[in-house]
Amino acid sequence: MQLAIHQLLPTYFEESSTLTSEIWGRELHFNSNEFIKIVAPSGSGKSSLINFMYGMRKDYTGSISYSGKNINQFTLEELARYRRDHISIVFQDLKLFADQTVQHNLEIKRQLNPYHPAEKIKEMAERLGVADRLSYKCGVCSYGEQQRIAIIRSLLQPFEILLLDEPFSHLDNDNSEKAMQLMLEESRARGATVIFADLERSEIFPFTRLYHL
Amino acid sequence: MAISFKPIRPLLQTGTSPWSRWFSYIGLALGVLLLLCCVQMYVNMQKLTKEANIRKNGYDYVAVTKNVSGETTSRPEQNMFSQQDIDEIKGQSFIEDVAPVIANQFRVQLSAGELLPFQTEFFIESLKNDFLDTIPPSFSWQEGQEILPIIFSTDFFEIYNVVFAPGQSLPQFSRKNAAGIRFLVTCFGNGQQQNFVAQIVAFSDRVNSVLVPESFLTWANTTFGSQKPFAVSRIFIKTKDANNPDLIRYLDTKGYSINKEKTILGRNKMLIQNVLSGLGIFGLVVVILALMLFSFYLQLIIARSKDNLSLLLTLGYSPRWLSRNVSNRFLPVYISIVVIALGLTQFAQWAFHHFVMHDKPELSPFIHWSILVAALLLIILSLVTNYRLVRKQLYKLN
Repeated sequence: MQLAIHQLLPTYFEESSTLTSEIWGRELHFNSNEFIKIVAPSGSGKSSLINFMYGMRKDYTGSISYSGKNINQFTLEELARYRRDHISIVFQDLKLFADQTVQHNLEIKRQLNPYHPAEKIKEMAERLGVADRLSYKCGVCSYGEQQRIAIIRSLLQPFEILLLDEPFSHLDNDNSEKAMQLMLEESRARGATVIFADLERSEIFPFTRLYHL
Repeated sequence: MAISFKPIRPLLQTGTSPWSRWFSYIGLALGVLLLLCCVQMYVNMQKLTKEANIRKNGYDYVAVTKNVSGETTSRPEQNMFSQQDIDEIKGQSFIEDVAPVIANQFRVQLSAGELLPFQTEFFIESLKNDFLDTIPPSFSWQEGQEILPIIFSTDFFEIYNVVFAPGQSLPQFSRKNAAGIRFLVTCFGNGQQQNFVAQIVAFSDRVNSVLVPESFLTWANTTFGSQKPFAVSRIFIKTKDANNPDLIRYLDTKGYSINKEKTILGRNKMLIQNVLSGLGIFGLVVVILALMLFSFYLQLIIARSKDNLSLLLTLGYSPRWLSRNVSNRFLPVYISIVVIALGLTQFAQWAFHHFVMHDKPELSPFIHWSILVAALLLIILSLVTNYRLVRKQLYKLN
């Protein structure tokens, strides 16, 4: 598996962005077992980059390839398989079903391609301190709790790439560390690449490469 | 492991008002019922009209003449069929064969010797053997043969026995006796005269005439006849179904006359067919309207659940799987509707058979297999239209 970006630049960015960025307009290859940290201030395109790699947006020039195939040319079914089997994500805006319970939210993702048995949901929820929220609707959970739920959801499927878009923005240090620990364990178990986009350089993510956007 | 639709079902928001759904269910049920009943009645009618015909060798043989009107009375040639007319009739897809009834073109006189003291001017005709209902082996003639076999119309025979003989104080005959009588047929023409001994060899229910073998009339017309151009006043047609509406329509258009009794069923059938077609089309329109209403309802569900469905796709759910499962969600409803309509159609058929047709054996009290096929097709049609609609909507979301 290899995820690669080739001369990537959002269509709404100036060409001059490529002069200062270590990502835009460059040729980059991300391999298995790599931990990639991307640091950038607000508005510099972190979420755009994560969404591009997840195949959610196409408003860019250049290309992104997964195992040599341009993800922009995936059919809708191929894209669904890509998301189900190969790539997982923690969205900045979490994207949970607010009217459904935490347990239901997690089961919806787990059953799609069960990497873990159903019992693992409770175990992970206990580790991240949200086990007592499993029967609550997501909409009534705090943002910090929702963030942990979104993290657990991302770990219930098989993946070769894990995309994290400011996953700890509403978590305290203790909870961030617990969540990071869980994500690292799960990623290592799969030999996956983790691409972590954040506002600042954080020491809790043991990155192997660092890029400034 | 197969993905379960159970956790997905609560994400589809059906809205609070079930009215539109129930309206479409009821509309669909009525439309399907109307359609199935029409198909069943159509099948019933086909069976009834088929059984009502006396058919031989699977064909009907019907005499056709031209309508004699006030205008054509003085111009008899207009009441005759030309070779061109016959060729045109033969060319119709619903007519298997045509045979002209050839008449004598010379003077014929009939007498019965001493047994029946009478003498009358007479006529004889001939028709292709294929078109005759009874042909005994003795019905043939060769030049030089004195005995002339005759096939006599059953109707004529009955008129003689019931009307003519009592009025004229003549003896009545059984069929067997009549076959034993020797008549004297005298042909005149071209300065010649020749006697033949005629004998009834068979009776015909089909042809109202006095028929002689074709070979005799061909010879006699040449020998005694005036060699007029080909023209016949009556033809017989051979058809698979004398009640075929296309045939009746064609004969009506051309102004040809046909035995009304033979086609009365056909004429009624045509009328009922039109009524049933109208009802069937109405049923189809109701089905289509109900399906449309249902598709609006589905679109409403999709519009209301847009965010949830979009998120499912984002999470990696296949649009094809989702389309199939969202549309299949209504499969039990469709099957229930069609099964109820089938049950009601079966009941209607039983009631029709029992109360209207008084358990007539030609008709079955059970629905025809084509009704089951139609029901199955309706279920498939609704599933396919729903699947396509949902898929289209979901692809728009992605």
